[in-house]
Amino acid sequence: MATASDRIRRARPLLGTFVEIEVAGAANAEMDAAVNAAFEAVACVHRLMSFHEADSDVSRINRDAGLQPTRVHNWTFEVLKAAAEMHRRSNGVFDITVAPILQALGLLPRSAGDPPNSSRARLLDAIELLPGQIVRLRRPDIKIDLGGIAKGFAVDRALEALRHFNVPVGMVNAGGDLAAFGPEPQTVYIRDPRDPRRLICSVEVADEALASTARCFDLFQSAETTVSAIIDPGTGRPAPAIDGATVRAPSCMVADALTKIVMISGTDVTELLGHCNASALLISADGDIQITPDWHHAVHLAA
Amino acid sequence: MTKWIRYTLPVTAIMSTASPAYSMQYLSIEEAQKLAFPSARFVEVQPGRVWKAEAGGRVAGFFIFDRVIGKHLFIDYTVVLTPGGAVQRVDILQYRESYGGEIRSPSWLAQFVGKTSGSALKVNGDIRNIAGATLSSTHVAEGVKRVLATYGNRLR
Repeated sequence: MATASDRIRRARPLLGTFVEIEVAGAANAEMDAAVNAAFEAVACVHRLMSFHEADSDVSRINRDAGLQPTRVHNWTFEVLKAAAEMHRRSNGVFDITVAPILQALGLLPRSAGDPPNSSRARLLDAIELLPGQIVRLRRPDIKIDLGGIAKGFAVDRALEALRHFNVPVGMVNAGGDLAAFGPEPQTVYIRDPRDPRRLICSVEVADEALASTARCFDLFQSAETTVSAIIDPGTGRPAPAIDGATVRAPSCMVADALTKIVMISGTDVTELLGHCNASALLISADGDIQITPDWHHAVHLAA
Repeated sequence: MTKWIRYTLPVTAIMSTASPAYSMQYLSIEEAQKLAFPSARFVEVQPGRVWKAEAGGRVAGFFIFDRVIGKHLFIDYTVVLTPGGAVQRVDILQYRESYGGEIRSPSWLAQFVGKTSGSALKVNGDIRNIAGATLSSTHVAEGVKRVLATYGNRLR
């Protein structure tokens, strides 16, 4: 039965993962209201940016590709602008138009009317962002997927919702994309991407965001890691060589997008990380862990 | 350009052992009921599984408890339906997962103690925050669809 507690923690299935929200240090009614508002923000991002839901902004943009411009919610527009910026700064490595490749690999579903063999298009030429939150995909064979950035954005919106309430401590974790605020740092454990049942290190997180990505695996089938869901737009193939990446950044949207870039570019991204005021940890296929020098003090390895 | 710092993990650090359960209890059934319908009275329609919520002499909605298999352990969750039979919210009550045995082992956990500033780590298996790839929530999504197919029309 319910007992009075200074801390509550809830989880709901959203964004294709379990989203966990925790708050502490306030009256129960205030904490319940804060958590509900934060989940509502995540659910809103889910409705707007899901590739799978037919009436999401993303699905409408994809349906209108090459046909007509689409007016979107300001949150969707904000994410698209950030994606374009990341695309430019990463020299095309971060690319939200890889959806046709993910579909070809069976990682995203096809919908009726999709061209059978979409040629790859590069973001800068492919997407027009126009005044009035209008988006236009120039060609009918272009499809976007915000899976590499929207989850982080959702975490940021949830944290912002929590901050509107009188709760001193908050944390949102959407399947590995997380952010926290409060007077004390929180300890977060990073899974071993080669064996998700194990933890590889712990990291201190204080008023900042942390995003982790790994080669995709399906624990329902087996604990073995399988093909990566990170696609290198340069080759159109799953990114090799790096098994997992964790990025710390001021916002979770930036951290989320940077993990995808680190998975492809490895240690070549130092400049971009610096520009974003971010740090990174990567786990190479040979088992070595590499950490940016500004961050190693906050990372504690399990061995 | 600043150099990244490289660590090579010893083999022992990546060996995995037996897999005991890890579980996170978020809510009891009663707590979830109160969150879904704060001032309602609950009438059990199907024991331990389906409740009708009544407030002010009217049906406020339905509350259904269900569980699905995660990897090989159960995830308990509840689905709240509106009086019209639409999904209003889904809450995870309890989440269980199997991990390598070392997570419960005091000696393994002790490695972290004293190295973490601020937040204390209890050496009794209280791993609170885990990042990195997680189980997908596909089975819960499928479960919600099944609940809706089973009860969505029948309960109205």
